Amino acid sequence: MGQVRQPRRVQAYDGELEAAVARAQDGDETAFAVAYRIVQPGLLGYLRGLVGDDAEDVASDAWLEIARDLRRFRGDGAGFRGWTATIARHRALDHLRRQRVRPRAGGTEQDVLDLPATHSTHEQALESLSTERALELIRTLPRDQAEAVLLRVVVGLDGPAAARVLGKRPGAVRTAAHRGLKRLARQLGVGSETDRGVTDAACPTLGESK
Amino acid sequence: MGERLNGDGVPGRRRAHPDGAMSDLREVRDAATVEPLLAAALRGGALDPEAEQRALTAFRAAHGAGAHHARTRRRDDWRPTAERRSRRPARVTFGVVFASLTLGGVAVAAIGSAGSSTDGADPSQGTAHPSAVTADQPGDEASPALSGPPAQADSSASAQETEAHCRAYEQVEDRGRAIDARAWQQLVAAAGGKDKVAAYCSEHPPGTSTAPGRSAGAGKPGGTGTGAAGNTGASHSGTSGDNPGGTNKGAGTGRTSADPGSGKHK
Repeated sequence: MGQVRQPRRVQAYDGELEAAVARAQDGDETAFAVAYRIVQPGLLGYLRGLVGDDAEDVASDAWLEIARDLRRFRGDGAGFRGWTATIARHRALDHLRRQRVRPRAGGTEQDVLDLPATHSTHEQALESLSTERALELIRTLPRDQAEAVLLRVVVGLDGPAAARVLGKRPGAVRTAAHRGLKRLARQLGVGSETDRGVTDAACPTLGESK
Repeated sequence: MGERLNGDGVPGRRRAHPDGAMSDLREVRDAATVEPLLAAALRGGALDPEAEQRALTAFRAAHGAGAHHARTRRRDDWRPTAERRSRRPARVTFGVVFASLTLGGVAVAAIGSAGSSTDGADPSQGTAHPSAVTADQPGDEASPALSGPPAQADSSASAQETEAHCRAYEQVEDRGRAIDARAWQQLVAAAGGKDKVAAYCSEHPPGTSTAPGRSAGAGKPGGTGTGAAGNTGASHSGTSGDNPGGTNKGAGTGRTSADPGSGKHK
């Protein structure tokens, strides 16, 4: 795929992660624990987006497989995050199939319109987002967008890695992530007025923000 | 709308005129705002110590079993592309041929999946195998069919096909395309029931590869995987990781899954 190669999304602890994984592959249990702690938050976050409350269970399944296949893995820290995300995703899909439930993401925007409005004027007003709210919002996205966003933002994968996890073309994943983020931004009230639609008209208190 | 800009203090948001550049900037800025929030919201929370213990237990169990023969399948190779791409044997050409033969169908994995990959001795060799054909020789980073005697078509045929089907099945999940009817039936037969297919595929090792390059099943080359020409972009050129005993590999057995060393792979 001859597209422009983006710099890999290196996360803060990728160096440590790579080293920990290598030692764990040699049998170092403490190193494995280190790797676990570095990876698990992102993995769990991703799984929450896919399976919601069952995320912990699915994560456990994933770690079983990760531990078992650890020695097969080759790559750096970012690669390990991609590898583990792939495993987690498979376990999540299996889980969903067993339950015959659709993955959570994929709802309609209607769901969001009912939520209490947040400050819609600027970014500064958004200091934090609760997990529940974040999940609700993610669920309003079409599944491909949700996954693309989750992998990029929560797991911290770059375009090619996310594409590999999803089994899609990097361009498609990039577009999906883009759209997903844009939509989320809009729903969070972030963004240019011109992007927002009718809702702006009803926007109440402005001014004081900041 | 938005005279509110006054209190706004956000420069560059010169309202209106969403020309390309400006809206790109806005998008970037918006994403930059949203991303950390999302990340924090979803990643946050303390980790459950019990969960960690379970993971450690699994680690001990896995590594105690002396599974030292861990072969790196293509799906396990996440080295940065530069490393992976280092060598591409001429086999790739075979891949192209095979890829074209499998257009639209489920991988013709039956053909000598065995793939003899010469390799155990050459770990870093990245063989870019033709995704189409491979159906990802499970666990076999091996090379394209041609290297090994196609012989196996028989006994291993069904195993390989099944894997290919499983892969197609999984790919289908992702892309919402219908799986080939015949492939589906074979899966159902192998799994023992429609409901069991998912479990079967997940339990059933082989290289269910997740990499984009691989769409042998669901897609025709040209799909993400674009068949053979070695999935240029996305990665992989399978490595033949350390392949002790090269067990099955090639040498004419063409047995796909056999991977005694590491127990089940998936």
